[in-house]
Amino acid sequence: VALRRRQHSACCRELSVRGPRVRLGALSAATSAAWLAAYAVFALSENSMVLSAAIFITLLGLIIYLHFVKIDQESLLVIGSLGIQVTSSYASGKESTTFIEMGQVKDVVINEAIHMQKVIYYLCILLQDPEDPQGVSEVVPLFQSSKPRLDCLIEVYKSCQEILEQRKTAPQSS
Amino acid sequence: NSPAPLPERAIYGFALFLGSWFGFILYLIWAYIPETWLFSLGLTYWPQKYWAVALPVYLLVAVGIGYVLLFGINMMSTAPLNSTHTITDNYAKKQQQKKFQEEAIPALRDIPISEVNRMFFLPEK
Repeated sequence: VALRRRQHSACCRELSVRGPRVRLGALSAATSAAWLAAYAVFALSENSMVLSAAIFITLLGLIIYLHFVKIDQESLLVIGSLGIQVTSSYASGKESTTFIEMGQVKDVVINEAIHMQKVIYYLCILLQDPEDPQGVSEVVPLFQSSKPRLDCLIEVYKSCQEILEQRKTAPQSS
Repeated sequence: NSPAPLPERAIYGFALFLGSWFGFILYLIWAYIPETWLFSLGLTYWPQKYWAVALPVYLLVAVGIGYVLLFGINMMSTAPLNSTHTITDNYAKKQQQKKFQEEAIPALRDIPISEVNRMFFLPEK
């Protein structure tokens, strides 16, 4: 898990967290195991459709995994006075983006929560409640698949807070 | 509502003790004595003896499933990562702010998460 920071300007920063890449050894091991199991079933049942079905399922499963499941890199682009953009890029090259404008952002905090019998730290964006200035209407968790640890999160948190502080000192002009 | 012993509680306890012993002896009689002997006594309306074994088995399996079910219910009722329940709740939203008095310990309150984060992670210069 690697964190990379790029400062584009005084009020614009990009923080990207890169997860572990798809390893060739694990991929070939999984494929060989699936095909060996299919060959064992074929040896027992003498039905050649099992082999073609196994090949088809392995290919389909690999494509679905690379395109919908395996996230390579997640990045956070913070532009002061404009908004925050969250991008996830998948192993097949697909990128999915979400943009949250600065008026809706209350704060970016590190929250702790119980997740699958563990307590994890995760970074999240708190969205402002339109009726209640002190309230939080929604919580948007970030870096869900790479799940960086606390030291990495603290770096990202400090970077985001430096930019978010500027919108308090600079007068709002909208 | 104290758990101290009272005369009524002693009577309830003794009645339950007698009742449970009576129930147990009745269960043993029904399970072990052959049907013909019971019919000859004139007692013919009993449930099938199958249930003398089936009901305890059902009970034990239900207890085992209960463990798994409780674990699952716990996991289902933990708030997901994107819910506001991880940050605040109804009591914290409605809390009143007491005025700050000099030389006094500040009143107990729920500190908002932004403030807590600033205290932990941003070093004071």
